[in-house]
Formats: sequence, C-alpha cells, structure tokens
Amino acid sequence: MTAAPAQRTPSWRRRRRRAVLWGWLFLTPLVVLFTAFSLWPIVASWWYSFFAWDGVGPPEVWVGLGNFAEALQASSFWNAFWNSFVFSLGALLVEFPLALCFALLLNSVLLRGRNLYRLALFLPVVATTAVIGLVLAIMLAPVGGVVNEALLTLGIVDRPINFLGDPDIALPTLVGIDIWKGFGITLIYWLAAIQTVPKDLYEAARLDGAGARQQLVNVTLPVVMPIAVVIFLLTFQRSLNTFELVQAVTGGGPVFATDVLPTYIYRYAFDAEMAAPRYGFACAVGVLFGLFTLIITLMQSPALAGRLRRSAS
Amino acid sequence: MNKKHGAGDLTRRSVLLGTGVVATTAGCNLIGGSDPEPTSSGSGTGGSGVELTLALVPDPPGASEFYRAQMDLFEEANSGITVNVIENPADQQLNALELMFQQGEAPDVFRCQGTPALTRFAERGWTAPLDDLVTDEFTARFAEGSLAPASSGLHYDGHLMSVPLVWGDWGPTALWMYNADILAEYGFDAPPATWSEMEEMARAITEEGNGQVFGLHPDRLDLMMYGSAPYGTLPNLDLTTGSPHLADDTLVELVEMFRRLQSEGVIIPGWEVDGASPAFSDFAAGRFAMYPSATWHVAEARKLAPDMNLKLAPIPVPDSGRRAYSPRSAAFQPIWSMSSESAHPEESLLLMDFLASIDFYRAYYEEFGSFTASQIAWEDQARENPDQAGILDVSAETLRTVPNPQLLAEGAEDFWAAITGDPELRAIDVAKDAVINDVDFRPLAEGIDQRVEELLVDAEADVPNIRDLLTFEDYDPLADWTRSQ
Repeated sequence: MTAAPAQRTPSWRRRRRRAVLWGWLFLTPLVVLFTAFSLWPIVASWWYSFFAWDGVGPPEVWVGLGNFAEALQASSFWNAFWNSFVFSLGALLVEFPLALCFALLLNSVLLRGRNLYRLALFLPVVATTAVIGLVLAIMLAPVGGVVNEALLTLGIVDRPINFLGDPDIALPTLVGIDIWKGFGITLIYWLAAIQTVPKDLYEAARLDGAGARQQLVNVTLPVVMPIAVVIFLLTFQRSLNTFELVQAVTGGGPVFATDVLPTYIYRYAFDAEMAAPRYGFACAVGVLFGLFTLIITLMQSPALAGRLRRSAS
Repeated sequence: MNKKHGAGDLTRRSVLLGTGVVATTAGCNLIGGSDPEPTSSGSGTGGSGVELTLALVPDPPGASEFYRAQMDLFEEANSGITVNVIENPADQQLNALELMFQQGEAPDVFRCQGTPALTRFAERGWTAPLDDLVTDEFTARFAEGSLAPASSGLHYDGHLMSVPLVWGDWGPTALWMYNADILAEYGFDAPPATWSEMEEMARAITEEGNGQVFGLHPDRLDLMMYGSAPYGTLPNLDLTTGSPHLADDTLVELVEMFRRLQSEGVIIPGWEVDGASPAFSDFAAGRFAMYPSATWHVAEARKLAPDMNLKLAPIPVPDSGRRAYSPRSAAFQPIWSMSSESAHPEESLLLMDFLASIDFYRAYYEEFGSFTASQIAWEDQARENPDQAGILDVSAETLRTVPNPQLLAEGAEDFWAAITGDPELRAIDVAKDAVINDVDFRPLAEGIDQRVEELLVDAEADVPNIRDLLTFEDYDPLADWTRSQ
C-alpha cells in the first residue's frame, strides 16, 4: 500500500513517459504504412464515390449519391452481391465445420503421417490461384477434360457435365474450388486453437470417466470457442473477398453467373474494353460492399457473443 | 536496479542505432545508388546517350523476344539511343499508362490500342502529334488514301496521333473457319452458305459425332451480329436511322437460332466462358467442325495442327439474303502513340518511324503471320500461303466501309463514352445471356434499346441535333460508304 505512491515519483514518471515514447516509436512504421496503404485508400474511396471520375486528375464532377443510387438500382450489382454471399455461405457452412473435423483428426497422436496430411491439405493455400484456376479449367472441360472423361468412363454420368459453362453449375463449382483452396488455412487456425487446450483438462476429464465424445463436447469445444469466433469471422471475410479465383477461371461468366462484387468493381474500374473507367462508381460499389460486410459481420456478433457466453459459463 | 535499467536503455539505444544505420544505408542506396535501368523518359541519362522507354503489351506469345530483338536492331541503327521496354498485360496496359502519366513517368512511346483509348489519351493532351512523320515516303508505305484524317482512325483533331501495327482489315474481317475433313466425314463437301445450312450441318455433325465431335462453336458470334444488320461500329445503333435497333428482326433470328442450337446440345459445351481452352485450340484438336472466327485464330490453329485441312469461307448469311457486310469503320486501328511529355521527342519520333517501317512490318508478319499495316511488306508472300490467301479473299468479299460516328459525329463524344462505358449495354453479352440462359432475346434487346434511347434523350439536352449526327441516310449497308455519297 505504501509502495505505490512511492513509485509515482518524478523519476518513475520519466521512465514511464520514455517507455510510452519508445512504444510509439516502434509503432510508427506500422501507423505510417497502415495510414498510407489502408486508411487513406479507404477514406479516399469514400470521397471519390461522390464523383463521376475516370481516375485521371482531380475528381471534379460531383454526383452526390448518384453512384450509390445507380448501384443499388442495378440488378447486376445485386447479382454480384448474392454470389459473394453464396461464397461466404459455402465457406461458413462447409469449410468452417469440415476444417474443424479434419483438425480434430489430424491432431490425434494416433494418426500416422499426420504432418504429411497437413502439408497436403495446406498446399492449395500456397499454390498460385491463377495457376490453380488454369489447371482446373482444363481438368473440368466438358470435352477432353480429365474429370468428365473419368465420370463418363466410370458410368457415373451419361453426358459431360459443363462445370464452368452451365450457369446453374458454375457458381457451386467455383465455391467448391474456393473451399478446397482456402481449406488449409482454416484447418491451421483450428489446429492452433485445439492445441491451446491444456493437456491436464483432458487428463482430469479422463479421470472423471469422460469418453472421446464427452471430452470433445465438454473440454475441447468450450475452450476453443473464443478462438472459434475469430476463425469464423476470418473465414467469412476471406470468402467474401474472393477475386483471383473467379477472375482467373470464369471472369465472372458465363453471363455473370459467377460475378462477385470484387470482379464487378474490377470491371468498372479497370476493364480494358471500356472507353473510360468509372472509378467513382467503382468506389461507390466498394463502399457499399464494405458497409454490407460490416452489417453482416455485426449481425453475426450477437449470436457469436451469446454462444461465447454460454460456452464460458 | 539502476544498473539493470541502464542496461535496458543501452539495448534500446543499440536497437535504435542499428535501425538508424540500416535506414541510413538504405536511404543512401535509394538516393545515391545507381539505377542500372532507368525507366522514366523524363530522367534522361546525361552524357551522349539517350534512353527511351517503350511501354507495350507482349502479345501474341513470343512478342517479348521479338520486340527486344527489334529494339536491338533499332539501337544498332541509331547509335546513342537505348530503348527500355516495359511490358504490361493487355487488360492492364491503359491503367498502367495512366498511372505512369500521372506520376510524371510517362513512357516515350506506348501502345494505346483502339479509337476509344486513343481519344481518351489525346483528349488529355498525352499524345504528341506525329505530323512531322508524314512525308511522301511515309505515306507510300500504306494503302493509297488510308492516311486521310477523316477515315484513317489514327487522327485526332486533324493531327496524326498514332501509327498502326496491323492491316486495317485484320480486325473487322470475320471468317468462317472449318475443318474440311470433318465436313467430308459427315457427308458435306462445302461450308454452309446460309444460316439454315449452317444449322443443318451443325446438327448432323453433332448428332453423329457422339459427343466426340461437335458441329459448331459460336466463338465470335459478335462478328456474325455485326454483319446481320446495318450497325457499323456498335450493334446498338442503326446508322441509317440513328436509332437504337438491337431488337432487329434479323438479329433476333440469328440469336434465336444459336439459342436453339445451344439448348439442344448441338454447340460444343464449354464455350460459355473464356477459360483455359480457346476456340482455336479445340478446333485444332478436331473437337468441332466449324466456327465464326477472328483472323488471328488461323495462324494459331495452324501452329497446333499443321496438317489439318483448315479452310476459310465467308460467314453464312440469312436465308433471306445478305443485309449487311462486316463493317470497316476506319482504315486502321491505332496502336503506337508518342508521349507529349517525352524529354526526347526527336529520338522518340525516330522510334515511331521504326515501328511504322517496312522492315519492322515485314519482321512482325514473318514472326507471327499477322498482316501488318503496310501491305507492301507481306502481300506477295501472303498470296502464296493458302491460309493467308484465304483471309485476303474472304476479307475482299465480305468487308465494306461504313460510316464511323466515333470519327465523324463531332459533338456526340459524350454519348459514345456513355454507350461504350457501360458494360451492361454490350450487345454480345445480351446475346450470350439469351443463348446460354435459354431466354427470349427480343425482350432483352428491347430493354437495351430503351436504355440507349434514354442516353440519346439525355444527350439531346446538350446536343439537340445528336440524332442527325448519328444518322447517315446515304449509307447503303450493301456497298462501301464514302463521304461523297
């Protein structure tokens, strides 16, 4: 009780001030880079979204909310928005739980060669998306593609499946590829989460007679739940921003059946066939995309927080 | 405690000192370090040498090596000039150029392809007039009259702003490419001349092809669309009336035919997306018999299948007879421009002259098989090559000059920017929508017509006579159009 006031001497304050200054000094590079390459572009895109601007010179033609109104009234915007949302649904409903199952399996010391399996599942994450897209497009081709040849040979189908050319199948196909491509990173998140569970909790549970299922339900899941919330949001964010895969494999086709908001924005901002890019409009769509992402994330928060509280209790 | 604390401070100082040394060293490198390959034209090199920057798109495959070799020849012929080549992917070239101009690092010479792009750059004052190039010798390199400002496609505001790379008819020529052996195998000894013949042959081949060979690939359906009505530069506007007319009966008939063939599985599946396998690749593999094709596909297919019985013919016409020809809207497509901000305009002009030289055109033709802008460089050789002679014959038979409102309708620039700047007004996408999703084309086309009409009404507020500007009453879609008509 008497030590605390004694610590707040001028020399203590000096040391503390210096420590804080050192902290800020080391933070400075991050703050500068974050401001220059993240914060400034975000804020600038808000400003540009109020202009009809082709990206050259200062924006001068103020259109107010015109770009936003145009986007919100365009069926193509909502088509791209829905497709982006479908990518997220696929990731959250399939990738997220499936990666947990695989993580539990690959975390087991009884599984031989588990590092090899982990490597195999993680490889697609580090593979170049454009190359993956190219190879898969060749493999999935309806005429001459190895997948269809195999399906036909095995008698599973009687005519080739047009995986990427059929508007009804192209989007699920891309979602499947996206899940496969991103599966490894979600798996690693889950593995890291599972490995934070203290061993003595399992030992105590076993002493209490808990079986494998009870250990999973009463030990593993409650402990990893706080991290699961983070994994959930990371998976959601990653899947919502799918761009390279769609651009490389279908370019948003056929007839915009796989168009997602990032490719929609890209088309208006950078399409070489357009006489003049519409950066202002593309920025407005980007702002809307950000807002919708925020809203959807916030909508998930109460549910996730509730689940978190329940697991904690 | 004090000693320990002091040690801590010393460690931080060491870290800071180390960081400072590294930063200073890096800074010195950035500031004073030599850049072995400066890329900015504005920087110059000092001394006797001049460095130029050429920004291009390395296509077709092998172009990187070709351009480097050509630049080496240019440097040999122009001692003291070094050309640094910057390559950008085709779909990023214009954006990359814009960034370079905005950052004050514009290339001296750059590829700026197509009338809309040239207009965009010229309007901003980024392209330098090339009028000094135009001598009798220069003009003689190209077809007679093709450099006339009103119709060259290379001029802006009366000044020559670009030099071409390929033959003017190379792009608009629409070919019907077919594998004569496949046709013969299924009982046909000639390509289809009409749409109904095309449909009949495609059905027969696909039916008997048993999933291994298909009758048809609609690769360049857009080229067929252009030739089905008097459209000119965009299939959204009837140039004889100046009115939107995508819902033209003949065009509807064409798209509905493809829709029918698609829904019945006659067309080879997989064409719907521009994926890994381009049409010429499947064609060379013998997976389908015939398709509407761009000119450059011929050489690519031939490379993949040197012994294939590849033949060329005009695109089939409606059963009721031809309504229009493939439109030639300018003598050339602009490609190479020179920067108005070049620090070395004289040397840059030399490079422009080199890119428009007979030697360069001949080398490009010999390397890639594409007809270049100067017919002198390749015409004799092309006549001896059956594929290339086929292209020339089809082109002569099916291409006609049309009025080009983008060049002629002064005052309608904003309307053209609006109509070409909206991806949702692309006629080919609407047609593909109908074909792939199996929906009626006419209502979709009428929707586009309505939106183009709205753009026209908007444009009338600023340009009351815009419809007159877009109307060429003397235009006969079955004849070459000239201004004197």
